[in-house]
Amino acid sequence: MNTVEVSNLTKIYESPYKKRRVTALKDFDLKVSEGTVFGLLGPNGAGKTTLVKILLGIVFQTLGSAKVLGKNISNHEVRKQIGYLPENHKFPPYLNGEDVLRYVGRLSGVSKQKIDQRTGELLALVKMDKWRKTKVKKYSKGMMQRLGLAQALINDPTLLFLDEPTDGVDPIGRKEIRDILVRLKNEGKTIFINSHLLSEVELISDRVAILNKGELIREGTVEDLTTDKETYSISLATEITEDIIKEVLPEFSVDKITSHGFELKVNNEEELNICIDKLRATGLMIKSIVHVKMSLEDMFISLINESDKAKNE
Amino acid sequence: MNNVFEITKQTIREAFARKIFIMFAGISSLILILFAVAFASIGLEDLSGSIQVETGQNRGVMEEVVGGIKLFIVVPLFGGGLFLSIFSASSFIPNMLEKGSIDVLLSKPISRAQIIHGKFLGGTFVVFTNIAYLVLGIWLLIGLKFGVWDPSFLITIFTITFAFAVLYGLIILIGILSQSSILAMMLTYLIFFILSPILNMREQILLLSDNKVLEIILDILYYIVPKTSELGSITSDLAVGGSLYDYQPIFTSAIFLILTLALSIIIFSKKDY
Repeated sequence: MNTVEVSNLTKIYESPYKKRRVTALKDFDLKVSEGTVFGLLGPNGAGKTTLVKILLGIVFQTLGSAKVLGKNISNHEVRKQIGYLPENHKFPPYLNGEDVLRYVGRLSGVSKQKIDQRTGELLALVKMDKWRKTKVKKYSKGMMQRLGLAQALINDPTLLFLDEPTDGVDPIGRKEIRDILVRLKNEGKTIFINSHLLSEVELISDRVAILNKGELIREGTVEDLTTDKETYSISLATEITEDIIKEVLPEFSVDKITSHGFELKVNNEEELNICIDKLRATGLMIKSIVHVKMSLEDMFISLINESDKAKNE
Repeated sequence: MNNVFEITKQTIREAFARKIFIMFAGISSLILILFAVAFASIGLEDLSGSIQVETGQNRGVMEEVVGGIKLFIVVPLFGGGLFLSIFSASSFIPNMLEKGSIDVLLSKPISRAQIIHGKFLGGTFVVFTNIAYLVLGIWLLIGLKFGVWDPSFLITIFTITFAFAVLYGLIILIGILSQSSILAMMLTYLIFFILSPILNMREQILLLSDNKVLEIILDILYYIVPKTSELGSITSDLAVGGSLYDYQPIFTSAIFLILTLALSIIIFSKKDY
Protein backbone atom coordinates (compact mmCIF):
# COMPACT_ATOMS: atom_id res chain seq x y z
CA MET A 1 0.00 0.00 0.00
CA ASN A 2 1.13 3.54 -0.70
CA THR A 3 1.21 5.77 2.35
CA VAL A 4 1.63 8.89 0.25
CA GLU A 5 0.32 9.27 -3.29
CA VAL A 6 0.84 12.51 -5.14
CA SER A 7 -0.34 13.11 -8.68
CA ASN A 8 0.37 16.11 -10.95
CA LEU A 9 0.78 18.31 -7.92
CA THR A 10 1.43 21.95 -8.76
CA LYS A 11 1.78 24.83 -6.38
CA ILE A 12 2.05 28.40 -7.59
CA TYR A 13 2.48 31.15 -5.01
CA GLU A 14 1.04 34.42 -6.18
CA SER A 15 1.76 37.79 -4.66
CA PRO A 16 -1.21 40.12 -4.03
CA TYR A 17 -2.71 41.38 -7.31
CA LYS A 18 -0.84 38.51 -9.06
CA LYS A 19 2.15 40.71 -9.82
CA ARG A 20 4.58 37.90 -9.12
CA ARG A 21 4.17 34.15 -9.50
CA VAL A 22 6.51 31.55 -8.08
CA THR A 23 6.10 27.93 -9.05
CA ALA A 24 7.09 25.96 -5.99
CA LEU A 25 6.00 22.56 -7.37
CA LYS A 26 5.35 21.58 -10.97
CA ASP A 27 3.45 18.45 -12.09
CA PHE A 28 4.86 16.52 -9.21
CA ASP A 29 4.19 12.77 -8.95
CA LEU A 30 5.29 10.64 -6.04
CA LYS A 31 4.44 7.39 -4.30
CA VAL A 32 5.79 6.37 -0.92
CA SER A 33 5.27 2.78 0.19
CA GLU A 34 4.27 1.76 3.66
CA GLY A 35 7.08 1.13 6.11
CA THR A 36 9.82 2.92 4.19
CA VAL A 37 12.11 5.75 5.14
CA PHE A 38 11.80 8.24 2.33
CA GLY A 39 14.32 11.03 1.94
CA LEU A 40 13.35 14.18 0.09
CA LEU A 41 16.40 16.10 -1.05
CA GLY A 42 16.87 19.36 -2.83
CA PRO A 43 18.56 22.73 -2.57
CA ASN A 44 16.91 25.63 -0.74
CA GLY A 45 13.71 26.66 -2.48
CA ALA A 46 13.36 23.33 -4.28
CA GLY A 47 9.82 22.85 -2.94
CA LYS A 48 10.48 20.20 -0.27
CA THR A 49 8.74 22.01 2.58
CA THR A 50 5.90 23.08 0.28
CA LEU A 51 5.25 19.44 -0.60
CA VAL A 52 5.12 18.38 3.05
CA LYS A 53 2.91 21.34 3.94
CA ILE A 54 0.49 20.45 1.15
CA LEU A 55 0.31 16.88 2.41
CA LEU A 56 -0.51 18.21 5.88
CA GLY A 57 -3.09 20.77 4.76
CA ILE A 58 -0.98 23.75 5.83
CA VAL A 59 -0.60 24.93 2.23
CA PHE A 60 -3.14 24.29 -0.54
CA GLN A 61 -2.19 22.93 -3.95
CA THR A 62 -2.98 24.93 -7.08
CA LEU A 63 -3.49 21.81 -9.22
CA GLY A 64 -3.30 18.05 -8.86
CA SER A 65 -4.28 15.69 -6.08
CA ALA A 66 -2.71 14.01 -3.10
CA LYS A 67 -3.67 11.20 -0.77
CA VAL A 68 -2.17 10.34 2.56
CA LEU A 69 -2.85 6.95 4.19
CA GLY A 70 -5.43 6.34 1.48
CA LYS A 71 -7.44 9.45 2.31
CA ASN A 72 -7.71 12.81 0.60
CA ILE A 73 -5.52 15.43 2.27
CA SER A 74 -8.49 17.76 2.76
CA ASN A 75 -9.80 15.35 5.40
CA HIS A 76 -8.21 16.66 8.58
CA GLU A 77 -9.13 13.51 10.50
CA VAL A 78 -6.35 11.66 8.66
CA ARG A 79 -3.85 13.73 10.65
CA LYS A 80 -4.72 11.68 13.74
CA GLN A 81 -2.30 9.11 12.31
CA ILE A 82 0.37 11.59 11.26
CA GLY A 83 3.25 13.09 13.21
CA TYR A 84 5.02 16.23 12.03
CA LEU A 85 8.21 17.94 13.07
CA PRO A 86 8.31 21.29 11.24
CA GLU A 87 11.50 23.17 10.49
CA ASN A 88 12.11 25.96 13.03
CA HIS A 89 9.07 24.96 15.04
CA LYS A 90 7.86 26.98 17.99
CA PHE A 91 5.86 25.95 21.01
CA PRO A 92 4.09 28.33 23.39
CA PRO A 93 7.05 29.66 25.44
CA TYR A 94 5.14 29.50 28.72
CA LEU A 95 4.72 25.70 28.50
CA ASN A 96 7.27 23.21 29.79
CA GLY A 97 8.32 20.10 27.88
CA GLU A 98 5.70 17.91 29.52
CA ASP A 99 2.94 20.49 28.91
CA VAL A 100 3.85 20.67 25.22
CA LEU A 101 3.36 16.93 24.82
CA ARG A 102 0.05 17.04 26.71
CA TYR A 103 -1.20 19.98 24.64
CA VAL A 104 -0.19 18.42 21.32
CA GLY A 105 -1.52 15.04 22.43
CA ARG A 106 -4.94 16.48 23.24
CA LEU A 107 -5.04 18.32 19.90
CA SER A 108 -4.14 15.04 18.18
CA GLY A 109 -7.11 13.33 19.79
CA VAL A 110 -5.06 11.08 22.10
CA SER A 111 -6.78 9.88 25.28
CA LYS A 112 -5.64 11.23 28.66
CA GLN A 113 -4.34 7.84 29.85
CA LYS A 114 -2.40 7.36 26.64
CA ILE A 115 -0.92 10.88 26.91
CA ASP A 116 0.15 10.21 30.52
CA GLN A 117 1.80 6.98 29.46
CA ARG A 118 3.48 8.28 26.31
CA THR A 119 4.69 11.60 27.76
CA GLY A 120 7.14 9.87 30.09
CA GLU A 121 8.19 7.30 27.51
CA LEU A 122 8.83 9.86 24.77
CA LEU A 123 10.69 12.34 26.97
CA ALA A 124 12.93 9.46 28.03
CA LEU A 125 13.33 8.35 24.41
CA VAL A 126 14.56 11.76 23.27
CA LYS A 127 16.57 12.17 26.50
CA MET A 128 14.57 15.15 27.69
CA ASP A 129 13.10 13.69 30.87
CA LYS A 130 15.50 15.78 32.97
CA TRP A 131 14.04 18.94 31.42
CA ARG A 132 10.39 17.98 31.47
CA LYS A 133 9.47 20.72 33.96
CA THR A 134 11.62 23.43 32.35
CA LYS A 135 9.84 26.09 30.29
CA VAL A 136 10.53 25.66 26.56
CA LYS A 137 11.68 29.30 26.28
CA LYS A 138 14.82 28.15 28.12
CA TYR A 139 15.51 25.28 25.72
CA SER A 140 18.46 25.28 23.32
CA LYS A 141 17.97 24.58 19.59
CA GLY A 142 18.99 20.96 20.07
CA MET A 143 16.59 20.51 22.97
CA MET A 144 13.78 22.01 20.89
CA GLN A 145 14.51 19.51 18.12
CA ARG A 146 14.36 16.61 20.59
CA LEU A 147 11.08 17.89 22.03
CA GLY A 148 9.81 18.47 18.49
CA LEU A 149 10.48 14.84 17.66
CA ALA A 150 8.74 13.71 20.85
CA GLN A 151 5.61 15.78 20.09
CA ALA A 152 5.55 14.35 16.55
CA LEU A 153 5.37 10.87 18.11
CA ILE A 154 2.80 11.55 20.85
CA ASN A 155 -0.09 10.07 18.83
CA ASP A 156 1.95 6.99 17.87
CA PRO A 157 1.69 7.95 14.19
CA THR A 158 1.69 5.61 11.22
CA LEU A 159 3.32 8.27 9.06
CA LEU A 160 5.95 10.71 10.25
CA PHE A 161 7.03 13.88 8.43
CA LEU A 162 10.34 15.28 9.61
CA ASP A 163 11.61 18.58 8.23
CA GLU A 164 15.32 18.95 9.00
CA PRO A 165 15.09 16.73 12.11
CA THR A 166 18.74 17.06 13.10
CA ASP A 167 19.05 20.79 12.50
CA GLY A 168 21.02 22.31 15.37
CA VAL A 169 21.66 18.95 17.03
CA ASP A 170 25.20 17.93 17.99
CA PRO A 171 26.79 14.82 16.40
CA ILE A 172 25.91 12.57 19.35
CA GLY A 173 22.36 13.85 19.31
CA ARG A 174 22.18 13.27 15.56
CA LYS A 175 23.24 9.67 16.04
CA GLU A 176 20.60 9.25 18.76
CA ILE A 177 17.89 10.70 16.49
CA ARG A 178 19.03 8.39 13.69
CA ASP A 179 18.76 5.41 16.03
CA ILE A 180 15.24 6.45 17.01
CA LEU A 181 14.27 6.69 13.35
CA VAL A 182 15.69 3.25 12.63
CA ARG A 183 13.73 1.88 15.57
CA LEU A 184 10.55 3.52 14.27
CA LYS A 185 11.19 2.08 10.84
CA ASN A 186 11.55 -1.37 12.37
CA GLU A 187 8.17 -0.83 14.03
CA GLY A 188 6.72 -0.46 10.51
CA LYS A 189 6.23 3.30 10.45
CA THR A 190 6.64 5.28 7.27
CA ILE A 191 9.08 8.15 7.69
CA PHE A 192 9.34 11.05 5.30
CA ILE A 193 12.49 13.14 5.84
CA ASN A 194 13.42 16.51 4.39
CA SER A 195 17.06 17.22 4.98
CA HIS A 196 20.12 19.02 3.76
CA LEU A 197 22.36 16.54 5.54
CA LEU A 198 22.77 14.09 2.69
CA SER A 199 25.09 11.76 4.54
CA GLU A 200 22.44 11.24 7.17
CA VAL A 201 19.67 10.66 4.65
CA GLU A 202 21.96 8.16 2.94
CA LEU A 203 22.40 6.27 6.20
CA ILE A 204 18.73 5.73 6.97
CA SER A 205 16.66 6.19 3.80
CA ASP A 206 15.34 3.31 1.71
CA ARG A 207 14.28 5.57 -1.11
CA VAL A 208 15.23 9.08 -2.08
CA ALA A 209 13.67 11.73 -4.31
CA ILE A 210 15.56 14.74 -5.57
CA LEU A 211 13.76 17.98 -6.27
CA ASN A 212 15.04 21.04 -8.02
CA LYS A 213 13.03 24.19 -8.67
CA GLY A 214 9.78 22.39 -7.98
CA GLU A 215 10.43 19.43 -10.27
CA LEU A 216 11.24 15.84 -9.43
CA ILE A 217 14.51 15.11 -11.15
CA ARG A 218 15.30 11.64 -9.82
CA GLU A 219 13.74 9.05 -7.55
CA GLY A 220 14.90 5.64 -6.48
CA THR A 221 16.68 3.61 -3.85
CA VAL A 222 19.88 5.06 -2.44
CA GLU A 223 21.71 2.13 -4.04
CA ASP A 224 20.22 2.88 -7.47
CA LEU A 225 20.92 6.56 -7.31
CA THR A 226 24.47 6.32 -6.07
CA THR A 227 25.44 3.60 -8.54
CA ASP A 228 26.55 5.02 -11.87
CA LYS A 229 25.44 2.25 -14.21
CA GLU A 230 27.40 3.64 -17.11
CA THR A 231 30.73 3.96 -15.38
CA TYR A 232 32.97 1.03 -14.43
CA SER A 233 36.12 0.98 -12.45
CA ILE A 234 38.50 -1.44 -14.14
CA SER A 235 41.42 -2.66 -12.15
CA LEU A 236 44.32 -4.39 -13.90
CA ALA A 237 47.00 -6.77 -12.73
CA THR A 238 49.33 -5.34 -15.35
CA GLU A 239 50.99 -1.98 -14.95
CA ILE A 240 49.74 0.58 -17.47
CA THR A 241 50.24 4.18 -18.55
CA GLU A 242 47.77 6.74 -19.88
CA ASP A 243 49.27 6.38 -23.35
CA ILE A 244 48.72 2.62 -23.41
CA ILE A 245 45.07 2.91 -22.43
CA LYS A 246 44.39 5.68 -24.94
CA GLU A 247 46.06 3.60 -27.63
CA VAL A 248 44.05 0.45 -26.77
CA LEU A 249 40.72 2.18 -26.27
CA PRO A 250 40.88 5.27 -28.51
CA GLU A 251 37.13 5.52 -29.11
CA PHE A 252 36.08 5.16 -25.44
CA SER A 253 35.79 7.68 -22.67
CA VAL A 254 38.37 6.85 -20.02
CA ASP A 255 39.12 8.78 -16.89
CA LYS A 256 41.09 8.63 -13.62
CA ILE A 257 43.90 6.53 -15.09
CA THR A 258 46.36 5.16 -12.53
CA SER A 259 49.18 2.64 -12.91
CA HIS A 260 46.78 -0.28 -12.23
CA GLY A 261 43.39 0.86 -13.42
CA PHE A 262 41.02 3.44 -14.85
CA GLU A 263 37.39 4.41 -15.06
CA LEU A 264 35.49 3.58 -18.20
CA LYS A 265 32.29 5.23 -19.38
CA VAL A 266 30.16 3.18 -21.75
CA ASN A 267 26.62 3.40 -23.10
CA ASN A 268 25.70 -0.26 -22.65
CA GLU A 269 26.99 -3.69 -21.71
CA GLU A 270 27.88 -4.51 -25.29
CA GLU A 271 30.36 -1.65 -25.35
CA LEU A 272 31.77 -2.85 -22.04
CA ASN A 273 32.38 -6.29 -23.53
CA ILE A 274 34.08 -4.78 -26.58
CA CYS A 275 36.45 -2.94 -24.23
CA ILE A 276 37.15 -6.08 -22.26
CA ASP A 277 37.94 -7.94 -25.48
CA LYS A 278 40.30 -5.18 -26.60
CA LEU A 279 42.10 -5.11 -23.26
CA ARG A 280 42.52 -8.89 -23.22
CA ALA A 281 43.61 -8.92 -26.85
CA THR A 282 46.42 -6.52 -25.92
CA GLY A 283 47.47 -8.88 -23.15
CA LEU A 284 46.33 -6.73 -20.26
CA MET A 285 45.22 -8.84 -17.30
CA ILE A 286 41.88 -7.73 -15.80
CA LYS A 287 41.63 -8.02 -12.02
CA SER A 288 38.14 -6.62 -11.42
CA ILE A 289 35.30 -4.71 -13.04
CA VAL A 290 32.89 -2.89 -10.72
CA HIS A 291 30.21 -0.27 -11.07
CA VAL A 292 31.39 3.10 -9.82
CA LYS A 293 29.52 4.18 -6.71
CA MET A 294 29.17 7.83 -5.79
CA SER A 295 28.31 9.28 -2.45
CA LEU A 296 24.76 10.63 -2.28
CA GLU A 297 26.28 14.08 -2.00
CA ASP A 298 28.30 13.71 -5.23
CA MET A 299 25.28 12.35 -7.04
CA PHE A 300 23.08 15.15 -5.67
CA ILE A 301 25.48 17.90 -6.75
CA SER A 302 25.94 16.38 -10.18
CA LEU A 303 22.17 16.01 -10.70
CA ILE A 304 21.38 19.53 -9.56
CA ASN A 305 24.11 20.96 -11.80
CA GLU A 306 22.82 18.96 -14.77
CA SER A 307 19.25 20.05 -14.08
CA ASP A 308 20.23 23.73 -13.77
CA LYS A 309 22.28 23.49 -16.94
CA ALA A 310 19.39 21.91 -18.85
CA LYS A 311 17.02 24.63 -17.64
CA ASN A 312 19.39 27.41 -18.62
CA GLU A 313 19.74 25.99 -22.12
CA MET B 1 -15.92 20.19 20.45
CA ASN B 2 -12.88 18.90 22.34
CA ASN B 3 -10.62 20.75 19.93
CA VAL B 4 -12.47 24.05 20.44
CA PHE B 5 -12.23 23.54 24.21
CA GLU B 6 -8.50 22.82 23.93
CA ILE B 7 -7.81 25.99 21.92
CA THR B 8 -10.00 27.99 24.33
CA LYS B 9 -8.05 26.62 27.28
CA GLN B 10 -4.75 27.39 25.59
CA THR B 11 -5.84 30.98 24.87
CA ILE B 12 -6.75 31.47 28.52
CA ARG B 13 -3.42 29.98 29.51
CA GLU B 14 -1.67 32.36 27.11
CA ALA B 15 -3.52 35.28 28.73
CA PHE B 16 -2.24 34.13 32.14
CA ALA B 17 1.30 33.62 30.85
CA ARG B 18 1.45 36.98 29.12
CA LYS B 19 0.29 38.60 32.37
CA ILE B 20 -2.90 39.84 30.66
CA PHE B 21 -5.04 38.33 33.41
CA ILE B 22 -2.78 39.65 36.13
CA MET B 23 -2.64 43.13 34.58
CA PHE B 24 -6.43 43.22 34.30
CA ALA B 25 -6.96 41.84 37.79
CA GLY B 26 -4.37 44.27 39.18
CA ILE B 27 -6.06 47.31 37.61
CA SER B 28 -9.49 46.03 38.69
CA SER B 29 -8.26 45.46 42.25
CA LEU B 30 -6.77 48.95 42.33
CA ILE B 31 -10.10 50.44 41.19
CA LEU B 32 -11.94 48.41 43.83
CA ILE B 33 -9.55 49.60 46.55
CA LEU B 34 -10.02 53.21 45.44
CA PHE B 35 -13.79 52.79 45.61
CA ALA B 36 -13.56 51.09 48.99
CA VAL B 37 -11.45 53.98 50.32
CA ALA B 38 -13.78 56.56 48.74
CA PHE B 39 -16.89 54.86 50.17
CA ALA B 40 -15.25 54.56 53.57
CA SER B 41 -14.62 58.29 53.60
CA ILE B 42 -18.30 59.13 52.86
CA GLY B 43 -20.21 59.62 56.08
CA LEU B 44 -23.33 57.63 55.30
CA GLU B 45 -25.05 58.50 58.60
CA ASP B 46 -24.61 62.18 57.89
CA LEU B 47 -25.70 61.70 54.28
CA SER B 48 -28.82 59.67 55.12
CA GLY B 49 -29.61 62.01 58.02
CA SER B 50 -29.55 65.05 55.78
CA ILE B 51 -31.60 63.28 53.16
CA GLN B 52 -34.20 62.26 55.78
CA VAL B 53 -34.42 65.78 57.12
CA GLU B 54 -34.75 67.29 53.70
CA THR B 55 -37.05 64.83 51.98
CA GLY B 56 -38.29 62.29 54.41
CA GLN B 57 -37.86 59.67 51.70
CA ASN B 58 -34.50 58.23 52.69
CA ARG B 59 -34.80 54.97 50.74
CA GLY B 60 -35.79 56.46 47.40
CA VAL B 61 -33.22 59.21 47.53
CA MET B 62 -30.53 56.75 48.56
CA GLU B 63 -31.33 54.76 45.44
CA GLU B 64 -31.06 57.96 43.42
CA VAL B 65 -27.62 58.60 44.94
CA VAL B 66 -26.57 55.02 44.23
CA GLY B 67 -27.90 55.38 40.67
CA GLY B 68 -25.72 58.46 40.24
CA ILE B 69 -22.69 56.60 41.57
CA LYS B 70 -23.39 53.70 39.22
CA LEU B 71 -23.60 56.03 36.24
CA PHE B 72 -20.38 57.69 37.36
CA ILE B 73 -18.76 54.23 37.39
CA VAL B 74 -20.32 52.65 34.30
CA VAL B 75 -19.18 55.17 31.69
CA PRO B 76 -15.42 54.87 32.44
CA LEU B 77 -15.90 51.16 33.15
CA PHE B 78 -17.28 50.59 29.64
CA GLY B 79 -14.64 52.76 27.94
CA GLY B 80 -11.68 51.71 30.10
CA GLY B 81 -12.70 48.06 30.20
CA LEU B 82 -12.96 47.86 26.43
CA PHE B 83 -9.74 49.86 25.95
CA LEU B 84 -7.80 47.36 28.08
CA SER B 85 -9.60 44.37 26.56
CA ILE B 86 -8.79 45.38 22.98
CA PHE B 87 -5.18 46.03 23.97
CA SER B 88 -4.81 42.63 25.59
CA ALA B 89 -6.66 40.57 22.98
CA SER B 90 -5.07 42.03 19.86
CA SER B 91 -2.02 39.75 20.02
CA PHE B 92 -3.81 36.37 20.32
CA ILE B 93 -4.21 35.80 16.56
CA PRO B 94 -0.84 37.23 15.36
CA ASN B 95 0.96 35.13 18.01
CA MET B 96 -0.81 32.01 16.82
CA LEU B 97 0.05 32.77 13.19
CA GLU B 98 3.79 33.09 13.85
CA LYS B 99 5.87 30.86 11.61
CA GLY B 100 6.69 27.66 13.42
CA SER B 101 3.69 27.88 15.76
CA ILE B 102 1.01 27.75 13.08
CA ASP B 103 2.72 24.79 11.38
CA VAL B 104 2.43 22.71 14.54
CA LEU B 105 -1.19 23.72 15.07
CA LEU B 106 -2.41 23.15 11.50
CA SER B 107 -0.73 19.76 11.25
CA LYS B 108 -3.06 18.42 13.95
CA PRO B 109 -6.47 16.87 13.28
CA ILE B 110 -8.32 20.10 13.92
CA SER B 111 -10.28 22.23 11.49
CA ARG B 112 -9.39 25.87 10.97
CA ALA B 113 -12.93 26.90 11.95
CA GLN B 114 -12.43 25.17 15.31
CA ILE B 115 -9.23 27.14 15.85
CA ILE B 116 -11.04 30.46 15.26
CA HIS B 117 -13.93 29.43 17.51
CA GLY B 118 -11.50 28.43 20.25
CA LYS B 119 -9.55 31.68 20.00
CA PHE B 120 -12.79 33.69 20.08
CA LEU B 121 -14.17 31.87 23.10
CA GLY B 122 -10.84 32.03 24.95
CA GLY B 123 -10.39 35.77 24.44
CA THR B 124 -14.00 36.51 25.32
CA PHE B 125 -13.79 34.37 28.45
CA VAL B 126 -10.69 36.26 29.63
CA VAL B 127 -12.49 39.59 29.25
CA PHE B 128 -15.72 38.26 30.75
CA THR B 129 -13.91 37.01 33.86
CA ASN B 130 -12.11 40.28 34.41
CA ILE B 131 -15.16 42.45 33.80
CA ALA B 132 -17.20 40.17 36.08
CA TYR B 133 -14.59 40.51 38.85
CA LEU B 134 -14.63 44.31 38.64
CA VAL B 135 -18.39 44.74 38.28
CA LEU B 136 -19.17 42.22 41.03
CA GLY B 137 -16.63 43.94 43.29
CA ILE B 138 -18.19 47.37 42.73
CA TRP B 139 -21.69 45.94 43.17
CA LEU B 140 -20.67 44.37 46.48
CA LEU B 141 -19.05 47.60 47.69
CA ILE B 142 -22.18 49.60 46.78
CA GLY B 143 -24.41 47.01 48.44
CA LEU B 144 -22.36 46.91 51.61
CA LYS B 145 -22.07 50.66 51.83
CA PHE B 146 -25.54 51.79 50.79
CA GLY B 147 -27.59 48.67 51.38
CA VAL B 148 -28.89 48.79 47.80
CA TRP B 149 -28.63 45.35 46.16
CA ASP B 150 -30.13 46.09 42.77
CA PRO B 151 -28.97 43.27 40.44
CA SER B 152 -29.50 45.37 37.29
CA PHE B 153 -25.96 46.70 37.65
CA LEU B 154 -24.67 43.16 37.05
CA ILE B 155 -26.12 43.20 33.53
CA THR B 156 -23.18 45.44 32.58
CA ILE B 157 -20.96 42.33 32.81
CA PHE B 158 -22.80 40.93 29.80
CA THR B 159 -23.22 44.15 27.82
CA ILE B 160 -19.53 45.08 28.16
CA THR B 161 -18.51 41.52 27.27
CA PHE B 162 -20.86 41.62 24.29
CA ALA B 163 -19.40 44.94 23.09
CA PHE B 164 -15.93 43.41 23.44
CA ALA B 165 -16.98 40.24 21.56
CA VAL B 166 -18.20 42.38 18.66
CA LEU B 167 -14.88 44.24 18.49
CA TYR B 168 -12.95 41.00 19.04
CA GLY B 169 -14.54 39.64 15.84
CA LEU B 170 -12.93 42.56 14.02
CA ILE B 171 -9.60 42.02 15.83
CA ILE B 172 -9.60 38.39 14.69
CA LEU B 173 -10.40 39.33 11.09
CA ILE B 174 -7.67 42.00 10.89
CA GLY B 175 -5.25 39.68 12.70
CA ILE B 176 -5.81 36.99 10.06
CA LEU B 177 -5.56 39.40 7.17
CA SER B 178 -2.52 41.33 8.36
CA GLN B 179 -0.90 39.15 11.09
CA SER B 180 -0.28 42.46 12.87
CA SER B 181 -1.47 43.06 16.43
CA ILE B 182 -0.71 46.79 16.14
CA LEU B 183 -2.91 47.19 13.06
CA ALA B 184 -5.72 45.13 14.62
CA MET B 185 -5.55 47.27 17.76
CA MET B 186 -5.41 50.59 15.89
CA LEU B 187 -8.33 49.84 13.58
CA THR B 188 -10.44 48.60 16.47
CA TYR B 189 -9.65 51.73 18.52
CA LEU B 190 -10.54 53.82 15.46
CA ILE B 191 -13.98 52.22 15.32
CA PHE B 192 -14.52 52.28 19.06
CA PHE B 193 -13.32 55.81 19.84
CA ILE B 194 -13.94 57.72 16.61
CA LEU B 195 -16.15 56.08 14.00
CA SER B 196 -18.89 54.67 16.25
CA PRO B 197 -19.39 57.93 18.25
CA ILE B 198 -19.44 59.97 15.01
CA LEU B 199 -21.97 57.64 13.38
CA ASN B 200 -24.06 57.72 16.53
CA MET B 201 -24.35 61.48 15.99
CA ARG B 202 -25.10 61.20 12.29
CA GLU B 203 -28.52 62.85 12.59
CA GLN B 204 -26.97 65.93 14.24
CA ILE B 205 -24.24 65.99 11.57
CA LEU B 206 -26.82 65.85 8.79
CA LEU B 207 -28.63 68.84 10.29
CA LEU B 208 -25.53 70.86 9.43
CA SER B 209 -25.40 69.60 5.85
CA ASP B 210 -28.06 68.60 3.32
CA ASN B 211 -25.56 66.66 1.20
CA LYS B 212 -27.37 63.52 -0.01
CA VAL B 213 -24.16 61.59 -0.70
CA LEU B 214 -22.92 62.23 2.82
CA GLU B 215 -26.26 61.06 4.17
CA ILE B 216 -26.07 57.81 2.21
CA ILE B 217 -22.45 57.19 3.24
CA LEU B 218 -23.20 57.84 6.91
CA ASP B 219 -26.29 55.64 6.80
CA ILE B 220 -24.42 52.76 5.16
CA LEU B 221 -21.54 53.06 7.61
CA TYR B 222 -23.94 53.31 10.51
CA TYR B 223 -25.47 49.94 9.75
CA ILE B 224 -22.15 48.26 8.95
CA VAL B 225 -19.91 49.50 11.76
CA PRO B 226 -20.54 47.97 15.19
CA LYS B 227 -22.49 50.32 17.41
CA THR B 228 -20.22 50.36 20.43
CA SER B 229 -21.24 53.90 21.27
CA GLU B 230 -24.89 52.92 21.53
CA LEU B 231 -23.99 49.73 23.37
CA GLY B 232 -22.31 52.03 25.91
CA SER B 233 -25.53 54.02 26.31
CA ILE B 234 -27.53 50.79 26.67
CA THR B 235 -25.06 49.63 29.34
CA SER B 236 -25.54 52.87 31.29
CA ASP B 237 -29.32 52.65 31.07
CA LEU B 238 -29.43 49.02 32.16
CA ALA B 239 -26.96 49.64 35.01
CA VAL B 240 -29.39 52.02 36.71
CA GLY B 241 -32.39 49.76 36.23
CA GLY B 242 -33.59 51.23 32.94
CA SER B 243 -35.14 49.07 30.27
CA LEU B 244 -33.92 48.16 26.85
CA TYR B 245 -35.98 50.23 24.42
CA ASP B 246 -34.02 49.76 21.18
CA TYR B 247 -32.74 46.34 20.12
CA GLN B 248 -31.38 47.54 16.79
CA PRO B 249 -27.80 48.35 17.99
CA ILE B 250 -27.56 44.90 19.63
CA PHE B 251 -29.02 43.15 16.61
CA THR B 252 -26.83 44.85 13.99
CA SER B 253 -23.70 44.52 16.18
CA ALA B 254 -24.43 40.80 16.58
CA ILE B 255 -24.71 40.51 12.79
CA PHE B 256 -21.39 42.34 12.47
CA LEU B 257 -19.83 39.83 14.88
CA ILE B 258 -21.23 36.83 13.00
CA LEU B 259 -20.07 38.24 9.66
CA THR B 260 -16.54 39.09 10.83
CA LEU B 261 -16.15 35.64 12.39
CA ALA B 262 -17.52 33.93 9.29
CA LEU B 263 -15.22 35.96 7.05
CA SER B 264 -12.27 35.21 9.34
CA ILE B 265 -12.99 31.48 9.09
CA ILE B 266 -13.36 31.61 5.30
CA ILE B 267 -10.11 33.55 4.80
CA PHE B 268 -8.20 31.49 7.37
CA SER B 269 -9.44 28.26 5.75
CA LYS B 270 -8.08 29.28 2.35
CA LYS B 271 -4.77 30.79 3.38
CA ASP B 272 -1.37 29.13 3.01
CA TYR B 273 0.96 29.16 6.02
